[in-house]
Amino acid sequence: MAATPVTNLESRTTTRLRSLCLSEYLVLALTVLMFAALAPFTPGLGTSANLLNALGYLLPLFIVAVGMTLVMITGGIDLSVTSIIALTSVVGAKLMTSDGGGTPAIIGVLVMLALGAGLGALNGTVITMLRLPAFIVTLASMMFLSGFAVWLTQSKNIYGLPGSFLALGQRLPIAFALTAALGVAAHLMLRRTVFGRWLYAVGQNATAAHISGVPVRAMTFAAYVASGLCAALASVMLTGRLETGSPVLGREILLDIIGATVVGGTSLFGGMGKIAWTFFGVLFLTVLDNALNLLSLSQFSITITKGAVILFAAVLDAVRNRFVVGRS
Amino acid sequence: MKRITSFPLTFVALFGALLCGGCGKSDPDGNTSPPSAPGAKKLNIGVAFETLQTEYWVAGFEAIKAELKKRDITMLEAVADQDASRQLQQVKTFITRGVDGIILVPKDAKTCIPMIRAANEARIPIVLFNRPADKTDAVSTAVVADNRTLTRDTVAYMIEQAKKTGTKHKAMVVLGDLGDINAIGRRDGFEDAVKGNESVIQVVSRVPSEWNQEKAQAGVANALQANPDISFIFTSSDFLFPSITSALKAAGRYKKIGEPGHVILGGFDGDATAYQMLKDGYLDATGVQDVYFEAQQSVQALLDRREGKTVGELILDPGFVIHQGNLNEMAPRMWGANIKK
Repeated sequence: MAATPVTNLESRTTTRLRSLCLSEYLVLALTVLMFAALAPFTPGLGTSANLLNALGYLLPLFIVAVGMTLVMITGGIDLSVTSIIALTSVVGAKLMTSDGGGTPAIIGVLVMLALGAGLGALNGTVITMLRLPAFIVTLASMMFLSGFAVWLTQSKNIYGLPGSFLALGQRLPIAFALTAALGVAAHLMLRRTVFGRWLYAVGQNATAAHISGVPVRAMTFAAYVASGLCAALASVMLTGRLETGSPVLGREILLDIIGATVVGGTSLFGGMGKIAWTFFGVLFLTVLDNALNLLSLSQFSITITKGAVILFAAVLDAVRNRFVVGRS
Repeated sequence: MKRITSFPLTFVALFGALLCGGCGKSDPDGNTSPPSAPGAKKLNIGVAFETLQTEYWVAGFEAIKAELKKRDITMLEAVADQDASRQLQQVKTFITRGVDGIILVPKDAKTCIPMIRAANEARIPIVLFNRPADKTDAVSTAVVADNRTLTRDTVAYMIEQAKKTGTKHKAMVVLGDLGDINAIGRRDGFEDAVKGNESVIQVVSRVPSEWNQEKAQAGVANALQANPDISFIFTSSDFLFPSITSALKAAGRYKKIGEPGHVILGGFDGDATAYQMLKDGYLDATGVQDVYFEAQQSVQALLDRREGKTVGELILDPGFVIHQGNLNEMAPRMWGANIKK
């Protein structure tokens, strides 16, 4: 029986590791681990300038991912978010510059948000009323809206935006406050309100939810409106950050948005997801991307590494989910 | 209650710490002021490309790398995958690393202005390779090909060949991604050349490729079905030639110069495919960007700016039109001719 203490120690270690693997903070733990592992030989990774730079990149990504999370919880997907970003960017920019008569920034922002919500409502209406797959509907609207944004501007970017508008994207405390407010509000809505519980119910089993009295169509519709609204808010930030209304703004970040949401733990099949998980997923991808850039690796190495790490995280998440019951 | 508030607390704690100054370290590489004397230390130059999607960008990237190596300068690299927001982050990352200069291929003429401004604030010289910025108070030097003029000259040469046939030609232009300033310049150059030559050229199809080979192939095939007698095709980039030749072969229209039914072909860039097509006698002309000139001028402009010399805001690469008449003479200056396929 001399081996008992060792066995106990091993058992404790195994238990701790197992509980970490089953924890909803696993992705955050992986992020911290990755940061700690890379920091010693990645020049400037832990400096405040670099962290603030990474934060500036993370905030709009997280905002769009919040909307994507709500949609994915209902069992849907919104591929049109990047096109909504582009279209709201050019419409808002046109309004706020001399092209559109120099509308005040606050009106420009409100129009952008309303347009984003309206486009989300359009997606939601087609999906719920015509009962078409979300993938096809949002893919079609992505193509249509992208083309429309390019046509609207004749491919030209719009510059000369008012300073008060630019501040929303360039002043980090303002951008952070807006993002934090949205993230916390979405988190509390999902965890504490009937609306949130209904969203989960729709994603877990729409038929059962309908029989139980959940307004399935209305909830699905609302999720797409929220997604469009989030995309528009991200557009406000990105447009301000880049000082430009661009018809191709955000075109390349769709996979990052979906990737971060899924890596965070939100299920592609609906019924499972949290804003916190999405935040961890976005943080994970941002830190990874930032570290690989600081290491000045070639694009090919970065792409391969990023893909491998995301796949590893996704596999790990899938494995641990087998052992988790009722995580959400 | 603990469950409910855990996320907000985590979020605010993590980023509150960031906003209050990150990890509290000073930046070990954060010396953004120029070194006391040139040559006092090995220089670091950050090279940020928007994409390495085509042979031209890869050739440009390699030309810059070779130019920096020749001058014993360390190169840090970043590629933004066509995302302006990511590119801004990468430029700021270079600034964090304390580079001595930045060479940037921007996404477009306007989204690069905050990047230039960030470099200006850090007192790091910045050069734009192949794509200029719009008018701005931010200071940079752009080394660019004259897309519009070079395209106009290339298409003008093609029109001269068309005139020699004595017949009117139906024409197709394959456009690039019209969110890209180079694509816009080439489109405008094509229109400039065609204007006034309507008796020779009738443009019946404008194919939007978005710099995507599959879209180009589908668009060209559709246009050839709708207008089987198209006999004049200009592409905004040579990298789309495989798509075009594939569609022409499928339609039985891929013929050498001088053969009956030859479609007058022209392009832009000067890549390896175009060089091979010129050698094989299928391609009439292409506008060549002098990538070696642009790389050399970009590095030189950075060094000059570091030394406080006066450098202009624009350095033009005139490029040249290469065609069957000057192929042997101009091939050594064509970057595509120097790529081993």
